[in-house]
Amino acid sequence: MNIDAAAGSISGVLQQPTAQAMLNASDDWLLPKRKLAAGELLEMPLPERKQEAWRYTSTAFFEEQSFQLAPREPFRALEISDIEDLLVAEDTYRMVFVNGHFAPQLSDRLPQMQGLGIETLSNGAGTVDASVREQLASIAPHRHVFEAMNTALASDGVLLHLAAGTQLDKPLELLHVTVGAEEPTLLHPRHLIVAEAGAKAQVIERYCPLGESRYFTNALIEVSLAEGAQLQHQRLQEESSEAQHISDLHVRQQAKSDYRLVQASLGGAWSRSDVRLELLGEQARAEVDGLLIASDRQLNDMHLEVRHVAPGCSSRESVKGILDGKGRIVFDGHIHVAREAQKTDAVLSNDNLMLSRSAEVDTKPQLEIFADDVKCSHGTTVGELDQNMLFYLRSRGIGPIQAQRMLCQGFAQQPIDAIQDEALRERVSRQLAARLGGN
Amino acid sequence: MLSIKNLQAQVEGKDILQGLDLDVGEGEVHAIMGPNGSGKSTLAHVLAGRPGYSVTGGSVDFLGSDLLELEPEERAAAGVFLAMQYPVELPGVNNTHFLKEALNAQRRARGESELDSVAFLKLVREKLAMVEMKPELLKRPVNSGFSGGEKKRNEILQMAVFEPRLAVLDETDSGLDIDALRTVSDGVNKLRDPKRSVILVTHYQRLLHYIQPDYVHVLANGRIVRSGDKSLALELEEKGYGWLGLDEEAA
Repeated sequence: MNIDAAAGSISGVLQQPTAQAMLNASDDWLLPKRKLAAGELLEMPLPERKQEAWRYTSTAFFEEQSFQLAPREPFRALEISDIEDLLVAEDTYRMVFVNGHFAPQLSDRLPQMQGLGIETLSNGAGTVDASVREQLASIAPHRHVFEAMNTALASDGVLLHLAAGTQLDKPLELLHVTVGAEEPTLLHPRHLIVAEAGAKAQVIERYCPLGESRYFTNALIEVSLAEGAQLQHQRLQEESSEAQHISDLHVRQQAKSDYRLVQASLGGAWSRSDVRLELLGEQARAEVDGLLIASDRQLNDMHLEVRHVAPGCSSRESVKGILDGKGRIVFDGHIHVAREAQKTDAVLSNDNLMLSRSAEVDTKPQLEIFADDVKCSHGTTVGELDQNMLFYLRSRGIGPIQAQRMLCQGFAQQPIDAIQDEALRERVSRQLAARLGGN
Repeated sequence: MLSIKNLQAQVEGKDILQGLDLDVGEGEVHAIMGPNGSGKSTLAHVLAGRPGYSVTGGSVDFLGSDLLELEPEERAAAGVFLAMQYPVELPGVNNTHFLKEALNAQRRARGESELDSVAFLKLVREKLAMVEMKPELLKRPVNSGFSGGEKKRNEILQMAVFEPRLAVLDETDSGLDIDALRTVSDGVNKLRDPKRSVILVTHYQRLLHYIQPDYVHVLANGRIVRSGDKSLALELEEKGYGWLGLDEEAA
């Protein structure tokens, strides 16, 4: 092994002792999946700018830093008082993951109810059927190297299985807390949510640092919704301003299922999310509200792919971006309507508010339609703060900085309002104001 | 209270106000009338400090301080309120939140304590009844989707909540039907106070049937060319601006 030469490369990561231990743990039911992915991984190059999907988003940071895999041992040093500031959501089943690993001492007891299977990846001895486990890595094709890397080196995560008709009575909150180390840490949260026919749940997924530090979160979430299943999914990314964050989300929807996603990406020096929804059964419905913040020198990228495969499905995607300083937003929204997907109803929009002329937006909404009887539209706007609105607020006694914040919060009202949990909604609104504060 | 001397102002490099003099005493209501393009709205916006309106000469003294030195928000805190001809829609900004933030910003700037939610809501309910505005408009984004009358009423509600020393009403009557005009005027009349002065900017005499001014001034080519009491407005209505040797522009 030549660790030195390999620092900052895929093969270098695979050679780290932590990776070797993961890829040789014969008692781990994940091992065959890990090995398969590791094999794929070695064949996959890092994404390059000449690939359309990565044209505006460089992954050079990965080679420039020597990321160390988070140790396999759970991080036990934290106490509940250390993360108190993050415990805002009330009345959730909270599972805390520290540096990728489940931290039972910080978490609520796992919910127990008829029809509910739940366990962590690290503790396979849970209540989840083997058939559910098998779905892991079957919903998400490995489209790029980071997805394969996640499967090969998944740190920890939850397997949630809702049997037919089961309703989770409180939201499941997956709170990822990252504590910096001397070397930048690499962590791979991995979750699988499987809802059988008519099941219903809310999931909150949060990423928060404990102090500013350098690290790279590479998360992957798979969701499978059977006929008539409903999932409300709230994702809040507040990573450290020095961190990189990529999260891939794959959702498969059967007939009449209903998936609601609200995703607020606020933090990180470099942040990207790839969201892929497949509407595979008739009359499935999906709604996506996104909020992207790019303050000075932040990159925030969202790739959204919605595949209307079955007829009569509807989807609405609305993503708002706010940029400040030298912030950059990349949005790529792609609605694909298959030939069989007649009577598709799809609306995609991306609106951007630039608080600075040095900021940059690269937005690309696309419709690719092969059916002939559909209702589809897309639209994009990029604008500056309206001077008449600013003056109106100032003429009422509100100073220019506060006026700007109020207008930004107003611009982001739709995605903020889509956040169900009131305390989280307020937190996002406050953070939005703070991150775009006074320039 | 307000003393404007030889005020000159430009908009987009064009001279609009060309030596305007006006004194407004405490508790007085002054109507500023004049044909389109005479500079009425420019005066209103210059007083409120709108960017893009540059003062090139003259002075404005308000309660002993130089008004022109103040930022728009400082003028508001000092007690100047401009009810706009075209109130701006603020999508996503909740009306109640806006009113509370604005009132408290003004109070902070004056060194007064902020109102908490309970005290604020009590105040707003009271003022809402005074201007006969539907309470549900408070829950909506500021002016968004409001009818013309609702927007104007919302301006008067703000005036009632902020309790300014000087209210400048810019064409408050424009776009209002008779019923709306009456309720808006009633609101303004209820807010008349020996300590509060009002400048009514209007093209038409009709508003002055409802809000009786103490003084009427005619503005033309950026100057006040005639001043009098309310009978001047009646004369104008009868004879038109042409009577003063002014071009009558179509409304």
